[in-house]
Amino acid sequence: MSILQWIYSVLSFLGHDVGYALAYIIESIILLIFVSISLIVMVYLFRKYMARVQQRIGPNRVGKFGLLQLIADALKLAGKEVIFPKERDDLPYKVAPFVVFFGLVLAFAFLPYGNLSIFGDLTITYSDVSIIFIFAILSIMPIGEVLAGIGSHNKYALMGALRSVAKDVSFEVPMMISVLAIVMMASARTATSLNLESIVTTEILPYGILEPIGLFVFFIAMIARASYAPFDMGESDSELVSGYSTEYTGLRFGLFYMGLFGTIFLGSLLVSLLYLGGFNGPISSQVGFIWLLVKGIVLVLISFTVWLSMPRIRIDKLVNVGWKYLLPISFINLVLAGVLTLGLGW
Amino acid sequence: MHGVLRLKAKLDGEVIKELEPVIGYLHRNAEKLCEMGFYCDNLIYFDRMDYVGAMNMEVGYLEAAEKILGVPPPERAKWIRVIMAELSRLAAHLVWAGAYGLDLGMLTPFFYCFGEREKILTIFTEACGSRQETNYMSIGGVYQDFNEKIIEEIKDFLKTFPKRMEIIYNIYVKNDVFLSRTKGIGVLSRDLAIAYGVTGPMLRASGVEYDVRKAEPYLVYDKVNFDIPISHKGDNLARFLVRFEEMRQSLKIIKQALDKLPEGPYFNPKAKKSMMIRMRGDGEYYARTESSKGEFGVYIVGDGGVKPYRVRVRSPTFKNLSILPVLSKDVMLADMIAISGSIDLVFGEIDR
Repeated sequence: MSILQWIYSVLSFLGHDVGYALAYIIESIILLIFVSISLIVMVYLFRKYMARVQQRIGPNRVGKFGLLQLIADALKLAGKEVIFPKERDDLPYKVAPFVVFFGLVLAFAFLPYGNLSIFGDLTITYSDVSIIFIFAILSIMPIGEVLAGIGSHNKYALMGALRSVAKDVSFEVPMMISVLAIVMMASARTATSLNLESIVTTEILPYGILEPIGLFVFFIAMIARASYAPFDMGESDSELVSGYSTEYTGLRFGLFYMGLFGTIFLGSLLVSLLYLGGFNGPISSQVGFIWLLVKGIVLVLISFTVWLSMPRIRIDKLVNVGWKYLLPISFINLVLAGVLTLGLGW
Repeated sequence: MHGVLRLKAKLDGEVIKELEPVIGYLHRNAEKLCEMGFYCDNLIYFDRMDYVGAMNMEVGYLEAAEKILGVPPPERAKWIRVIMAELSRLAAHLVWAGAYGLDLGMLTPFFYCFGEREKILTIFTEACGSRQETNYMSIGGVYQDFNEKIIEEIKDFLKTFPKRMEIIYNIYVKNDVFLSRTKGIGVLSRDLAIAYGVTGPMLRASGVEYDVRKAEPYLVYDKVNFDIPISHKGDNLARFLVRFEEMRQSLKIIKQALDKLPEGPYFNPKAKKSMMIRMRGDGEYYARTESSKGEFGVYIVGDGGVKPYRVRVRSPTFKNLSILPVLSKDVMLADMIAISGSIDLVFGEIDR
């Protein structure tokens, strides 16, 4: 039973229509809270981990172990004076951060989360084409970046947005092709092979073992997607000030920042679902969600390590990596997946 | 990169067609101020020129000022100055190594470098009570003698630092992305470097074996044994490697200087505190020294008064910066940042 059903069973006295409507609203709020909390934890984790890598202490003043630091930061950000650039293009400028952030939150809604003892299945929304939906949502986020770049009326913002889009386009294709390989392999075992949940539940071995090349390509593309070093083209802080978020202040800037960390988390969850068995593991019928989180957090830490140890790659070389290396490799992976599926019947 | 530089760039997409550096945002009128202070006072303006490696600036000024005033430092003070100047060179190169990572978008080595630099600054604090603008040397010697604790601290530093430096070095050179950003980028040919008056590690990375410490030894650099690292590639990576090799050579110099440090006075008795403002200088003198950025020249004209008539500084970074528009023609924007980072700019010294 999903959360929606569970909420509806409580609200069923309101009748079918009103009950479901309310249940959907409550469910979205739960989703928003889940994403926000996980982002706050992520940022805290990042700052502590970064401090550890850089042989510093990290936040330790506000609250025990600096646990309240992020809340203090969020309050500070919310209390900042909001400054609008004079020559802005009003609508794109104001809408852009929300496009980025809510696109991200929407993508979280379609992930399968597995079971957690008494709560049952935590998955929020079921869809037979959830993979298509997730990647469609993911491709909305660059639009937000472009809107920010155009709307800011600022040369740094525009160049940041252009770089960001060049990067996103060149990594989207290899990413989709490596997902296609998985869908192809899953289609041998399940009728709904575009459903992320049925892909995970019907797998024999994690796809990362069957398709290590696919895992490699997808993980790199995910890093590029989340745009941190070595692929932080969007903000390239040494040459473009802060890229497309240059002109933003206060909460809107916070939304971009959250979008960055959210994409890392989403990417890690996606990698663990698609390639590392997701919520599968010992006693997964009870603690599948925990498995998913553990795998996700390990991947997040790997991403942070990459982030902290890499300089920024140059934009033309980055586009080369996408089109000249990852794309052919992902096609090889597709062919190998076809051989595995048709030839060996895996 | 350090300080305030404005670059006016004409772009064609991501490619730079024209570049014009605009300087002067950190101008503090140091040369003119020097005409208004006594010879002993002017040292503080030099501390604030290349503030990341202040001791080298002090050496440069004193080389000229002491010749004019006729108060040479005693032998022990010379050795102490060499130790401090080399420590300062290490500190300056560490700032550069960290900031270069930031220029390329690499966060972590910055903290490693500044952690090590902090140890050098602790030694400075022990010696003179100040971290950055040290004002440690003075006309005719140094402000305070080395005590046992300082020597112990330097010895400790010499023991721990090489290992830490190799870690920082490996973070960079074992990273393929770093290599792709530096190898073959910003190639400065030997002839061009000489034509533009480029000096220091930049010149040596272009294959010219020129170091004032060897070419025209000052202090006691002729009594210590060290090599001039050179490279013939002339690109960003060559400049990086030359600077790291220089740090290794600096360690070698400090080690020798500590062993050879003679006993004796650390101060020329002719330059007592009460005498300081009565010292009169006559004539002209140009002194050149090797700072961490290149050849640092100080030209002083004295007219027989207690204050210099004119002080003029040849700033190595200013000359090195002049090569940036040439090197960054028709390169990508990101490469221009990598090139300007590899020049090792400190604006306190360019603008003065």
